[in-house]
Amino acid sequence: MNDKVCVGAIAGAYGVRGEVRLKSFCAVPEDIVDYAPLSSEDGTQNFSVQVTGRIKNGLTARLSGVESKEAADALKGLRLYAPRERLPALPDDEYYYADLIGLEVLDTGGTPLGRVRSVQNHGAGDLLEIIGPGLKATVLLPFTQEAVPTVDLEAGRIIADPPDGLF
Amino acid sequence: MARSVWKGPFVDAYVLKKAEAARDSGRKEVIKIWSRRSTILPQFVGLTFGVYNGQKHIPVNVTEDMIGQKFGEYSPTRTYYGHAADKKAKRK
Repeated sequence: MNDKVCVGAIAGAYGVRGEVRLKSFCAVPEDIVDYAPLSSEDGTQNFSVQVTGRIKNGLTARLSGVESKEAADALKGLRLYAPRERLPALPDDEYYYADLIGLEVLDTGGTPLGRVRSVQNHGAGDLLEIIGPGLKATVLLPFTQEAVPTVDLEAGRIIADPPDGLF
Repeated sequence: MARSVWKGPFVDAYVLKKAEAARDSGRKEVIKIWSRRSTILPQFVGLTFGVYNGQKHIPVNVTEDMIGQKFGEYSPTRTYYGHAADKKAKRK
């Protein structure tokens, strides 16, 4: 499990008074404030975030320690991370995408099938995209009780019982 | 222009056949189809279709609220990998 989650990125300066354009990757964009203070990937820079408005494709925000347009411009492209433990706890059978990605997938007999590469949702339920050494292309596994009876985050594995014709 | 009501919903005949066969067999399987234009009918609820998107078959678990839509709506032809951030998956 990753200890840091990427929750946003700085798209550039907004105006001339040190505000930034913030791209939020959260399900509800404004929730990025709840995970502050945010840090850079290497952890050397930390920012508290105050959202000042909404713009096309993002938010405008004021970051602590960023007082000028030049300072805001210098941060362009910086990805912002929050510690995993700051994300709220979820009820049973709900999981963060970030927790599922990277888990090992085994079938009910214990044979490794691959690893979770991504989680997708096209409107018909969540799908786990599985990539493995024995697979020519990625396989999409429906994230249902039937197809995925066990999710063990501590052990870092998923037990899958895929329907016929999937693998 | 909307489809005339007297014609009924359009479904490719082979989709109906495959769905009926899968329902009769009672086996848990993905029904591979290429017909993205077929309408989702009430008798498809509970079945899992693998809807072709030009590259691979995307599993689509049919539920009641999908009736009347087309299969292709649930099988996008372009994949966008966004960031996981705080997005949640619910096991149904």
